[in-house]
Amino acid sequence: MQSLARNTLSARPSAIRGFATSAARSQAAAVQKPIQTKEFKIYRWNPDEPEKKPTLQSYKIDLNQCGPMVLDALIKIKTDLDPTLTFRRSCREGICGSCAMNIDGQNTLACLCRIDRGAKDTKIYPLPHMYIVKDLVPDLTLFYKQYKSIEPYLKHPNPPEREFYQSQEDRKKLDGLYECILCACCTTSCPSYWWNQDEYLGPATLMQAYRWIADSRDAFGAERKEKLQNEMSMYRCHTIFNCTRTCPKGLNPAAAIAKLKLEMAAE
Amino acid sequence: MSTSLLLRSSFPRHISAAVSRRAALPAVIQARNVSTSTEYVPGGPIIRGTVNDPTTFPTPSKSHGSYHWAFERLLSAGLIPLTGAAFAVSPTAYPLIDGLLAVSLVVHSHIGFDSVLVDYLHKRKFPIIGPVASWSLKFATIGTLVGLYQFNTQDIGLTELIVKVWTA
Repeated sequence: MQSLARNTLSARPSAIRGFATSAARSQAAAVQKPIQTKEFKIYRWNPDEPEKKPTLQSYKIDLNQCGPMVLDALIKIKTDLDPTLTFRRSCREGICGSCAMNIDGQNTLACLCRIDRGAKDTKIYPLPHMYIVKDLVPDLTLFYKQYKSIEPYLKHPNPPEREFYQSQEDRKKLDGLYECILCACCTTSCPSYWWNQDEYLGPATLMQAYRWIADSRDAFGAERKEKLQNEMSMYRCHTIFNCTRTCPKGLNPAAAIAKLKLEMAAE
Repeated sequence: MSTSLLLRSSFPRHISAAVSRRAALPAVIQARNVSTSTEYVPGGPIIRGTVNDPTTFPTPSKSHGSYHWAFERLLSAGLIPLTGAAFAVSPTAYPLIDGLLAVSLVVHSHIGFDSVLVDYLHKRKFPIIGPVASWSLKFATIGTLVGLYQFNTQDIGLTELIVKVWTA
């Protein structure tokens, strides 16, 4: 078919060629893209078979039949190859924080992480040092309990009847803090959190603690800081900066913790 | 006849099983939400209370918190000019600077090692090795301080020793 079209093309005078052959050309363009195979090695563990050790399972997909992000690849694998593959996902645009996982050694959101088309394979693990529910799903119970412990809401003994005014300068202090989506990428990248997660709050929770301390409308800053006055809750932060490095939203939890430490030391 | 008997006999059992299953349901939910284990189990999950309870904080203590942190930072920053001063002036003429350097260095090291022990050998996880290591560190620090006092007062002193070793 193609060769036939090409023959007729060459037989025609060049002046009318483009116009006369446009229909045939558009059909020819629909030819399949070349197959670009990519291997994904994905951590698998099934709680129904607890005696079996976790393994890396390999999946090969054609990148030209798949979206650009790692989450697209995961969804394609689940749809086409293995429906038992388990992972969390929701918004597919980096605002829900569900698809946080360790991709090629970096904690990030699968929906914001482009597939590395050059590398031979991509390894996907769940968030490190967490208890695993299944495959890529970590147990975030403790993370949420810790978040709850810092009372992440506005506290004021007698709030105004209507709007709670705040100057533009005060509002600016919250930029870079309020955008956190609590995906737990930073917290699970912190070695201090790996060793002491039962006592140490971790970067995400500490940044949110500071977000409410820094808020000019909150009246309980002193009480909030008082809670952190112990060896474990905050001072296990050794300024390793993994949190800032890994944050898929580009936030800086290390800076927030540093400000918090400085404020508490200056009291 | 036999089938009807079977049906009749199995029917109440079926009902009672369903009823008991429904009655057991809240208990199951409760069991899932309430975890009675509060002690740390090595390798196990460390959820205390229900999933809806916030984690708790230890008793606040500034000497373990901000004072400790500020002291640690000031000491580290102060060591830099102190080291310079000790080597700039003749240590035998200023034994106070020599002594200050010795004490600061030992306290600085003690805080550093103590931090390592809190990170990796905390007594909540290592009820025996943790306190042993912590006390060994304390004794080692005291021993070093005593030894340095002896050395600074009886012998050439710390700075002089480092200068000698450096040029040796």
